Amino acid sequence: MPLLELRDLSVLYGGVEAVRGVSLKVEAGEVVTLLGSNGAGKSTTLRAISGLVKPASGDILFDGRSIAAERPESIVRRGIAHVPEGRRVFPGLSVRENIMLGASNRTGLSKSQIAAEADEMFDLFPDIRRFAGSLGWTLSGGQQQMVAVARGLMAKPRLLLLDEPSLGLAPVIVQAVFAIVAEIRRRGTTVLLVEQNARMGLSVADRGYVLETGRLVLSGSPAELWSNEEIRAAYLGGRTAA
Amino acid sequence: MDLALQLLFTGIGIGSVYALVALGFVLIFRATNVVNFAQGEFSMVAAFLMIVFSVKLELPYWLAFLISLGGMALLGALFNLAVYYPLRHRTYLPVIISTIGASIFIANTVLAIHGPEPEVMSGWFETPGFLVGPVYLDSQYLLIIAVTAALVALQYWFFEHTLLGKKLQATSQDKEMAALLGIPVAAMIMITFVYSAVIGGIAGILVAPVLFVSISMGSTIALKAFAATIIGGFGDVTGAIIGGLALGVIETFGAAYISVPYKDGFAFLVLVLFLVFRPQGIFGERVAEKA
Amino acid sequence: MSTTIAAAAPVRPQLRWGVAGYAVLVVAAIAVAIMAPKTGYVLNISLQATTYAVAVLGLTVVLGLCGQINLAQAAFFGLGAYAVGIGQTSWGLNFWVCLVLGMGLAALFGAVLGASTLRLGGHYLAMVTISFQQILTLVLINWIPVTRGPDGVPSIPRPAMFTDGSSYLALCIAVLAFAGYLVWRLRDTRLGRAMRAVRDNELAAGVAGIDVYRTKVTAFAISSILGGLGGGLFAGGFAYVSPDQFSFAESIVFLTMTLLGGVSSPIGAAIGTGLLILIPEWLRFLKSVPGLYLAIYGAAVVLIVLFMPDGIWGFVRGHLDRFKRAAPIITSTAALQLAGGGAGTETVLEVRRLSKHFGGLKAVDEVDFVVRRGGVHALIGPNGSGKTTTLNVLSGLYRATGGKIFLDGRDVTGLPPHARTVAGLGRTFQNIRLWKSMTALENVTVGAERPGSSVSDADAVLARARAALAFVGLEARADEVVAGFSYGHQRAVEIARALAGDPALLLLDEPGAGLNSSEKVELRDLLRRISARGLTIMIIDHDMTLVTEVAQHITVLNFGRRIADGTAADVLAHPDVVAAYLGAPDAAA
Repeated sequence: MPLLELRDLSVLYGGVEAVRGVSLKVEAGEVVTLLGSNGAGKSTTLRAISGLVKPASGDILFDGRSIAAERPESIVRRGIAHVPEGRRVFPGLSVRENIMLGASNRTGLSKSQIAAEADEMFDLFPDIRRFAGSLGWTLSGGQQQMVAVARGLMAKPRLLLLDEPSLGLAPVIVQAVFAIVAEIRRRGTTVLLVEQNARMGLSVADRGYVLETGRLVLSGSPAELWSNEEIRAAYLGGRTAA
Repeated sequence: MDLALQLLFTGIGIGSVYALVALGFVLIFRATNVVNFAQGEFSMVAAFLMIVFSVKLELPYWLAFLISLGGMALLGALFNLAVYYPLRHRTYLPVIISTIGASIFIANTVLAIHGPEPEVMSGWFETPGFLVGPVYLDSQYLLIIAVTAALVALQYWFFEHTLLGKKLQATSQDKEMAALLGIPVAAMIMITFVYSAVIGGIAGILVAPVLFVSISMGSTIALKAFAATIIGGFGDVTGAIIGGLALGVIETFGAAYISVPYKDGFAFLVLVLFLVFRPQGIFGERVAEKA
Repeated sequence: MSTTIAAAAPVRPQLRWGVAGYAVLVVAAIAVAIMAPKTGYVLNISLQATTYAVAVLGLTVVLGLCGQINLAQAAFFGLGAYAVGIGQTSWGLNFWVCLVLGMGLAALFGAVLGASTLRLGGHYLAMVTISFQQILTLVLINWIPVTRGPDGVPSIPRPAMFTDGSSYLALCIAVLAFAGYLVWRLRDTRLGRAMRAVRDNELAAGVAGIDVYRTKVTAFAISSILGGLGGGLFAGGFAYVSPDQFSFAESIVFLTMTLLGGVSSPIGAAIGTGLLILIPEWLRFLKSVPGLYLAIYGAAVVLIVLFMPDGIWGFVRGHLDRFKRAAPIITSTAALQLAGGGAGTETVLEVRRLSKHFGGLKAVDEVDFVVRRGGVHALIGPNGSGKTTTLNVLSGLYRATGGKIFLDGRDVTGLPPHARTVAGLGRTFQNIRLWKSMTALENVTVGAERPGSSVSDADAVLARARAALAFVGLEARADEVVAGFSYGHQRAVEIARALAGDPALLLLDEPGAGLNSSEKVELRDLLRRISARGLTIMIIDHDMTLVTEVAQHITVLNFGRRIADGTAADVLAHPDVVAAYLGAPDAAA
């Protein structure tokens, strides 16, 4: 049984059918990348999985159980953490506080236990350790991304949804972020990654899907996808619109 | 000089009450992005509850106090459910109109039940006060200042050092992200309203022996507290406290040296001056326009 | 252009009938007021209702049309009433002079209050108006030498010719009718459209060239004047004024009247006022318990906001609209002129070392580029590269951290959004920002009314708006409210709105987002048609197919910096651009 399964999922977003009949599976332990240009419906798919938007039709199964009607708070308690596009670090809280709040879905933890876990996170993200006491909004984009991923991991998720972790980051930072994705996977967390940066997105993936205007148009291994002309066309144009 | 010291003491005392109500404004504003125009009515209702339980039913002070605060918690919860929560996805205009309507409803319901006569509540202490040098320290004012200081310290500890406090802050900064982390957003908003009602209630009960307990005390206090909030800067707890104290002092000096009947007008004057010359308040916004 | 004017100019026959019907109704009401026998009680109720209704009309303007709150209408009402009272009894002035003085006083205070508060959020306005209300009450009670204090001002005379109750009531009805007519027609004037645009979407109003702040202050001043007028008439009607008649509670009564009847229409104002004057009279026992009827008003306000946000008239009209006949479609035959593209120097827009920082984030970092006149210039880059931030700095929604922007050779870096629009900038938004409660034609007409545009007289503006709608293929839906439009059609209306203003440069922020493939083909053809008329376009879009098909020149951003700039073919072959979009080759595992 796949860890996550989307069955014929359609989602309306701002009056537009942003996701149209998407079906896909993520097996436990995999890293799956969802590719596509902006507006293809990638983020909306993740927002539907984590409960921020309700599907217009279709179903979302986690562990074989439908979560399509549940609220975000209960979905994250089931073990799906969503690191959304734009990082969304709480601007007025410190880095350490941001990370500690990542454990809000887990019950029965004392504050000191959570603080200890947050400190362990700085081992995985040594670059942000020295900003532990700084307010979120003072950080650069790359540092905020690290905080957002660390905060997501504090939920001890079985499935981590990562939305465009490379967004607006310099190449060297992008590489650091993806090294962390590889490390997360090595530790056994399943990852569903949304990426615009096709090369980076596929470099860490076991499998990939390509979305175009809300529909799945391709799926396969990273090598298959990378050699496919369609991908190049979808990103850099060159086909006639029809 | 002696008079000035005396006025300073009184001003800080009355300013503490404004600061407490301003805290309620700021907390609700940060959690919901809406100014609760009924915040002052929380103080008024609590003072009347205190009159009922303490003066009319002659319960011990502490018991009447606790029962009154329990009533305020209930009122805060009901207020959230009936006035704010159904409108949470609408723009600010319907929400503020709704809180204004609720304010009118609460004040006049109390008027209809109780009648227009103001009530007098005696002070909490046997000793009305004592002289320290040239300054007469009224014990009720001392109590107000002490309780305000204690509440501010408690609140600081709560927001800076507890996880619940951090969750409340997170909710006020980004509700969607808070929900994604598993923070129960609806419950956080509920806690904010309950807490604001209680803190507003404490302010009302504290000030009751100093002012008359009247139907209009709510709107008067709310106006002052709002001015305090603007002076200190919206969205900043420290600003609200300093703004409240500053306003209390300005008003007391204004009444002594300029005019007694227009005492309530000074708050408005200060408000307009700040709006024109420094609308972001003394402390401004701590968080940048976009993070 | 003359053919369109002929098609658009005739006054709508519906409107002419409406005016005639209204006039008949008013004359009948005046006749009844004069001829019908009535008790003093009925006369008093009628006087109160008519004078209150004038003040409520003021709230219809400021709250209904412009979306700004005013919780001091009773104070403005009181200013008018005291002017008529004190002016006549203490200073021996003529009634009419006093009435005008009162309106002027109300306008002055309204404008000052509005001017000091309306740049800030609505909460400030609410609190400041409450404060003003409280202060005025304090002054009326305490400034005894002038106001005569709590005792009030007795024996206020009425003007000559209107001394008896019936004729004075007739006068009040006539004034109310006239004010109601003006407010009714205000809706469809340039100012009225601007107010509604501000109410529906302030950001879009500014970008369409409306001075948002001045529009709000004007609305507030009009509301105050109507408050003062109503109060002046009230003082003459009852011959006695005292401070408690103009307290905060009365402001709430005015507000409740406005909300109950329906906030956006003068008819709603009349319904709300009538009901709230009559209901307490019918339920007199409520007044025997102090506070009870105000408690009910307060609860009514909450309930109306919760369950009937459009008020009684909004509710009724919603049902009437179903029976309305479709208006005949007026087709435009004239072609849309886009003159802005023709004249001027070779450079339309020059951006020098432009920066925008948010906290530690350099969203735009010293970017340079030049947009040449004619043709399509694309600004592209991966998500988060700073494109939309650049556009927002260009159109003035964000203040630049550093650098300069020149439009047609003029430095516009320090100008607010509406002034940049006046200078010749038009734009659309990534997430469409139309004024949702207005029709397609009204939306586009506001665009055509751009100050600084070549067209200024009302008929030509309307013709131009129709031509712009026709240009995007939507003239048949001109009179429909845009909230019901599909995403693609809303997008088209937004482009038409910008085109109608005849800008020198059109900024399009992701016009292809959310469109399906056939809509994208339509968009591509539309952009080509616009470009063919000589209008310079700067486009941001992620659909590279669309970009490559329309743009001749491309600037590429990444991490807020410019990484490439040149002709479309050169830029897309640039290795940095390929790396930015597909990922750097050396980074692949």
